[in-house]
Amino acid sequence: MHKYLLAGVSAFAIALTSSAYAQELMFPKGEGAFSWDSLQAFADAHKDLSGQKLTIWGPWREGGDQEMFESVIAYFEDATGVDVEYGSSENYEQQAQIDAAAGSPANITILPQPGLLADMASKGYLVPLGDATKQFVLDNHAAGESFVSLGTYKDAQGNPQFYAVPYKSDLKSLVWYSPDNFADAGYEVPQTFEDLQALTEKMVADGNTPWCIGLGSGGATGWPATDWVEDIMLRLHAPEDYDAWVSNDLKFNDPKVVEALDLFGWFAKDDKKVAGGVAAVGTTDFRESPLGLFTVPPQCFMHHQASFIPTFFGEGVELGTDADFFYFPAFAGKDLGRPVLGAGTLATITKDSPAARAFIDFLGTPISNEIWMAQSGFLSTLKSANVETYSNETLKGEGQILLEATTFRFDGSDLMPGAVGAGSMWTGMVDFVGGKSAQEVADAIQASWDAIK
Amino acid sequence: MAAADTAAARDLPRPTTGTPRWLARVSVGRLFTHAALLLLVLLWTFPTAGLLISSLRDKDQLAVSGWWTALSTSLTQGVSRIGTAADQVEEAGRFVIRGNIFGTDTNKQVDSFGLSNAAPAAAAAGQTLPMAAGGEITVQRDGSFEWVSDTAFTHSRGPRVFYVASIAPRFTLDNYIEVLTASNVGRSFINSFTVTIPATVIPILMAAFAAYALAWMRFPYRGAIVALVVGLLVVPLQMSLIPLLSLYNNIAQAFGAADGKAYLGIWLAHTAFGLPLAIYLLRNYMAGIPKEIMESARMDGASHFKIFTSMILPLSFPALAAFAIFQFLWVWNDLLVAMVFLGAQDSKLVLTGKLVSLLGSRGNNWEILTAGAFVTIVVPLIVFFSLQRYFVRGMMAGSVK
Amino acid sequence: MGDVVQQVLSAGFAIAVAVAAAGAYFWGTNWLLDKVLASSPRMTSGEMSRRDGLRSAIRPWLFLFPSLLFLSVYLVYPVLETFRLSLFDKTGRSFIGFSNYLWAFGDSNFQQSVLNNVLWLLIVPALSTGFGLVIAVLADRLWWGNIAKSLVFMPMAISFVGASVIWRFVYDYRGEGQEQIGVLNALVTWFGLPPEAWITIPFWNSVFLMVILIWIQTGFAMVILSAALRGIPEETLEAARIDGANGFQIFFTIMIPQIFGTIVVVWTTITITVLKVFDIIFTMTNGQWNTEVLANLMFKWMFVNFDYGRGSAIAVILMLAVTPIMIWNIRRANAEEGTR
Repeated sequence: MHKYLLAGVSAFAIALTSSAYAQELMFPKGEGAFSWDSLQAFADAHKDLSGQKLTIWGPWREGGDQEMFESVIAYFEDATGVDVEYGSSENYEQQAQIDAAAGSPANITILPQPGLLADMASKGYLVPLGDATKQFVLDNHAAGESFVSLGTYKDAQGNPQFYAVPYKSDLKSLVWYSPDNFADAGYEVPQTFEDLQALTEKMVADGNTPWCIGLGSGGATGWPATDWVEDIMLRLHAPEDYDAWVSNDLKFNDPKVVEALDLFGWFAKDDKKVAGGVAAVGTTDFRESPLGLFTVPPQCFMHHQASFIPTFFGEGVELGTDADFFYFPAFAGKDLGRPVLGAGTLATITKDSPAARAFIDFLGTPISNEIWMAQSGFLSTLKSANVETYSNETLKGEGQILLEATTFRFDGSDLMPGAVGAGSMWTGMVDFVGGKSAQEVADAIQASWDAIK
Repeated sequence: MAAADTAAARDLPRPTTGTPRWLARVSVGRLFTHAALLLLVLLWTFPTAGLLISSLRDKDQLAVSGWWTALSTSLTQGVSRIGTAADQVEEAGRFVIRGNIFGTDTNKQVDSFGLSNAAPAAAAAGQTLPMAAGGEITVQRDGSFEWVSDTAFTHSRGPRVFYVASIAPRFTLDNYIEVLTASNVGRSFINSFTVTIPATVIPILMAAFAAYALAWMRFPYRGAIVALVVGLLVVPLQMSLIPLLSLYNNIAQAFGAADGKAYLGIWLAHTAFGLPLAIYLLRNYMAGIPKEIMESARMDGASHFKIFTSMILPLSFPALAAFAIFQFLWVWNDLLVAMVFLGAQDSKLVLTGKLVSLLGSRGNNWEILTAGAFVTIVVPLIVFFSLQRYFVRGMMAGSVK
Repeated sequence: MGDVVQQVLSAGFAIAVAVAAAGAYFWGTNWLLDKVLASSPRMTSGEMSRRDGLRSAIRPWLFLFPSLLFLSVYLVYPVLETFRLSLFDKTGRSFIGFSNYLWAFGDSNFQQSVLNNVLWLLIVPALSTGFGLVIAVLADRLWWGNIAKSLVFMPMAISFVGASVIWRFVYDYRGEGQEQIGVLNALVTWFGLPPEAWITIPFWNSVFLMVILIWIQTGFAMVILSAALRGIPEETLEAARIDGANGFQIFFTIMIPQIFGTIVVVWTTITITVLKVFDIIFTMTNGQWNTEVLANLMFKWMFVNFDYGRGSAIAVILMLAVTPIMIWNIRRANAEEGTR
């Protein structure tokens, strides 16, 4: 009897889990424009890891990101024989912190917030990667120097150490639009910020609504506005001012920052310029906001959002045909070049092991970048990664913007302390759109910054 | 409370069945009762009904129109890109591109169509419009179109056709199928049961004894312990995560394991988190058991242990059942504790965690949420129904306070 | 998949072991107590009563021990740890006295949260208990009462992710002229009024969020009160009916006094739930538009800003807020003892 029960249970279990463990390689080795040599070289250099376990904790969950990252991991497993377990959760930042504090971190922790990593480093949760890796990032990544400084934090004793390597980048200075709708209405892609403002006014004059702006994001409501303000900061003022702003050497309620806020308000705080009116800005979910570009008739013509957003365009919207992007332009009247705002994820070791070291090395191989480039939503700053592997022209074009950037700056709110960048600044943006003045909001944010010093 | 005149009481109807005599006396009140309860139930059910209907709707419709519109035919405006030169066929000297603007979707009917955003309803279904790229197009009610030209097509980018279509009400189980066939959903069900059942049974056992002691035994500090239990109800769970997880990790590492994330840990954690409410509810219920029952038992020389197991436990069944329901629910729907103490690896995901990850990996799709919410609700409802029958009147029958 | 089998078996095993262990513990220790401190006829009466006294002094602690052990490790210890952390700075290394508390009382978000929490405490427990009681009483008298109760209970069973979707379908806002997918705005526009972004209107947005919690907690109140109502002896009710009492009189003069203890318990429990409420605010507004409450503020400082000091200070304040309820419960417990 007992035996039958057991057999029954296991048959049931087999039926339940049969689909689980077949992780196949997404692209057959040796085919396409991939740098297969780098995979072979990596495999040859890491021969003795077979059978080891590696845990990775990261942010990728939504929009198929988890599957894509796991497809990259499959090549690492194939090359080394290491058994990788990847995990993520809705509140992955909190959980990374909880696990680190409690002493059960993953081997590799990947986070998009340098501010958070700096915090973890100061509590001694991170393992320094060493000078060789630092040199590698410096030499092999576009804007290597800025990535080195992005991954360098003070350890528990206050000494700066290099902790984190960049892996996946996002480009924020983009405006999405429907080429068909632009053509039908006779609008042209603006080349300067002045043109962008003129176009906005022209659309209003034509009785159209230019922008879709949605700040809703559940617990993170408000963040899409921070990208707007950061992008505008980079266009109004010198990059040095931006850096000073992020480190609060330039106060948040400085006239320069207030000016940037007001310029964002020029777009977002005008019922005629935003779909659904100003009241809709604060409550519309950022994932649903771009859908207004594709409705009939269109609710709006333009949408400012980072390179990840096509994931949420919905089925049937084809990139390049139905939707395209243009660079969020710079002022012609200011000599500030072509500033670019970006973001990205950084990989760190939170529990040291040979397999963890190998994985950090793996992220520096072109193949680890190309596998994801060939899918979607992945931009690489690794110079050796073959741009031919980008899956579409849109990604290639975004890569182009990255290359043409004269100024590259990281998402400021991610660099600010959490209480500001993921707290009072979000609230401030929501309040600003809700009716408060730029000065009021800036004062409140500065006050919250003072309160954590 | 005065003892009832039992002889008279026996002749009287029971309120749960309601016999004509009583009904006749208060029939207006009775009607009012029906109406009032109906109103309340409707109010309470209305939002859930929205979720249920939404979960049966086409996923494209969810974020576009209100769920109540699903019950009637509604109008929608849409756009579709039609074929390029590569799709043309030559027929009797003319060039034709055919297709259906709805693709494989058979739920819509074209009312009118047009060729620009400005005029999406320029022509009625079945009529013909001239195309900018040459030739003319006819769109039928079922969405099939025919674009005919005397000269060969050369365009490489299909033009857009706009339409106003009516959508017939349609309900589908696709959302449920999508949720239930996702990989590892079965595994998550098992994980959830594995976590939930022990985490419901263990605290009931422990709390019942403690509640009895706090209700019926005399000892110093009794009031203080009751107050402590009430006070502990308010401890925010988040506070205990880090201290407990590091405790677990230390214990696990002492035994050579990598970390302390195991089922035993989560059972014990849920047990402890459920204890204050369990003790509080059960103590209150047990304290309300008529003293006479206890005294007669004491008189017969029964020990506390005997009284507890043979009298109090059976008498407390309604309260035990009530707590069991809530503990089951809370553990079943918990995400935070499971994520922290078990981890988020696929093999260890509980059902709520699985849902959240499904939700993520398919974009911001409400259909998963709506169907998923009903998939998770089924088990708690079964538990509720099966335990509800223990809330029966008359468990204390024969005892009068 | 072998591990699935193993998991199912080990879960079953765990239940068996837990039940057996608990049974063995309670039965075993009792047996041991009676054995070791047994009274026998050979003893002097003084010895016998000493032993009797000792037995009845020890027994309660045997009953309580497992619970107290768990409560200490899993709740008391973290509370003490929290209190300790609240006196330290954000890294948890340097002692800063009561600075975190001083900061909290000066912080405008904190003040806003306290105000909102008071509102929540006044409204939610009262309405949840009230509705729960009314539904329990009404449902008890009707043949379809069980169906009604199950339907009212449903919100309790829906996970939070699901509940937040449900209420988005109620409060959702689309700009004027667009099709509304939120019930409330659809109603409003049907009457020809402009749609409102409900969750952004200060004060009323808190009320709209409270509605969600009332909607959920009424099921809890109903189940507990319903169980208590079933405990009212049939004879009592019938006696009242014979005396000619109508439904309202029975409700107010018999049912409520009879289950008053349970009403207090339900009220207390919901009050405490309200103090801890966090998910609703987190998922619907995250404290924007002046809807902040203490529990959410605490979560933010703990796990978004990673300032354990301030997060802990807010948690301690939250826990202190429950003191009046604790004192009241001590009084009740002692009063009950007096009657016995």
